[in-house]
Amino acid sequence: MKSRWAGLVLLIAVIVLLVLLPLLVNNYWLRIATGALMWAGLACSWNMLGGYAGYINFGHSAFFGLGAYATALLMGDPLGLPFFVTIPAGMVTTAIFAVIIGAPTLRLRGAYFAIATWAFAEVLIQFATVVDFTGGIGGLGLPPFLDERFFYFAMFGAAVLTYLVTWALFERSRFGLKVKALRDHEPAAEAMGINTSLVKLQTFVLSAVTASVFGSIFAYWVTFINPKSVFGGDITDQMVVMVLLGGLGSLWGPAIGGVALFVVNRLIWMYWGDTAFYIAILGAAIVLVVLFLPNGIAGLFARRTAKSGAVLDKVVNRLVDGEGGQR
Amino acid sequence: MTPTATHPTGDHILTVRDLYRHFGGIKAANGVNLEVGRREIAGLIGPNGSGKSTLFSLVSGTVTPDRGQIRFDGREIAGSKAYAVARMGLARTFQIPALFDNMTVTENLLAAAAQGHWPGAHERAAETLALLKLEHVAENRASDLSGGQQKLLEFGRAVMRQASLILLDEVTAGVHPNIRKIILEAIARLRERGVSFLVIEHDMEMVRSVCDRIIVMDSGRVVTSGSFNDIVRNSEVMQTYLGRPQ
Repeated sequence: MKSRWAGLVLLIAVIVLLVLLPLLVNNYWLRIATGALMWAGLACSWNMLGGYAGYINFGHSAFFGLGAYATALLMGDPLGLPFFVTIPAGMVTTAIFAVIIGAPTLRLRGAYFAIATWAFAEVLIQFATVVDFTGGIGGLGLPPFLDERFFYFAMFGAAVLTYLVTWALFERSRFGLKVKALRDHEPAAEAMGINTSLVKLQTFVLSAVTASVFGSIFAYWVTFINPKSVFGGDITDQMVVMVLLGGLGSLWGPAIGGVALFVVNRLIWMYWGDTAFYIAILGAAIVLVVLFLPNGIAGLFARRTAKSGAVLDKVVNRLVDGEGGQR
Repeated sequence: MTPTATHPTGDHILTVRDLYRHFGGIKAANGVNLEVGRREIAGLIGPNGSGKSTLFSLVSGTVTPDRGQIRFDGREIAGSKAYAVARMGLARTFQIPALFDNMTVTENLLAAAAQGHWPGAHERAAETLALLKLEHVAENRASDLSGGQQKLLEFGRAVMRQASLILLDEVTAGVHPNIRKIILEAIARLRERGVSFLVIEHDMEMVRSVCDRIIVMDSGRVVTSGSFNDIVRNSEVMQTYLGRPQ
């Protein structure tokens, strides 16, 4: 009970600090904070399916990109729609794609789902590169809006909403029980009356739509996107590593991993200007986490510590042997 | 038609007719015919590989039959999805406990009620913990339980489903006598509430003490059925277990 209150006080302190941050730092650090919030939110969206349901999505950047392109296309000529209209439009578009992709692929066992999602993102890169309306490889520009505080609070709002929805749905509702049950033992979950195909699809769509919101804000923020910058596989790779580092299947793990890795990324860029070094750090982080911290950083503070690497075991076993996460 | 394990009252909750399922050359179900009456506790015995667990998988929808009929509570369920069969009121346990390892004991029970039985689930979870004497491990992770406690928890999940028929697959195998006693008492109490059981068991003492009728399977089909005394005197059953004289 004591630790629960301590956690609540810490959470309130963090939120107050984040609300006041624009008054405390300059625009440079505000941009870094905006990016950190985006990655914390994106990592959380990946964790919905990867951590809570145990299905590894290697094409999650596809949904980030769909949100980004929806906003870019709708805000640009000739439509010129307001930014806040483009967000729900991107969400609906992404949801449709997620149902079309998820319905058949979530029935696949083992690595096939991961491969299918990776292939989907690759198809979108190629498609966006060859067609005209996306601007092809040259990409699309958006009307510039140079208010750092606006984008900071947009990302902050989206991140808070993402974590609130995740907490309510996955940690405090019977929907979350169903999702975690199918992760731990899919045939047993079916035997409890849970339509696992439907629950997986619902989780997949929610995860995809959340990523699209961040894609929409990102596109308007950076004012220019191209296929590689929003559909690129490295975007998904970073989300995966952030979640592994923070804690797979935990609520706060993606926030910890997302903020930590993004800040490391920016510091490396600031001092060495070398992004290849960051890629090496990502690789090393995966190895170290798997070996020494299978429950991630969040696992160090969990009230009920899971058996070492138990969730990671489930997810990896499903990926490798295709036995629905069973040992 | 192959031999039928007939229930005498004619009031059946489960009826299986000419059920077949072959896996390549293995005839796991080779024309199964049996009935389970309402409020009956039917034991299902037979040597290893006789098709008992496959029959459970076929009835519960985990495996689809090649052909045949399965009527549960008046409805044809052969080929139905496992979740749909569960929603009709059929619950099962697995030979090797299939728990939600990363969830607590209480969460395992709540997950069992998450679909269709949610109102009052927390109160029923508390009752089930008390019934199975698992209160002291309620907040432990399922993976941290002993083997016997895992069997209890899986049985508890079936209880949480508020099922009218529960299939128990070796639920007392290898457990401490105290845990075995808890399970047997719980089965008796549930039967008083109108629940029927089909129980796979190798422990003949348990079969004798709890089952109203025993169904014997061998080579994917029912050999015979009857009371415990009938079964132990049946030469065909003896041959099934001990082999035929050369």
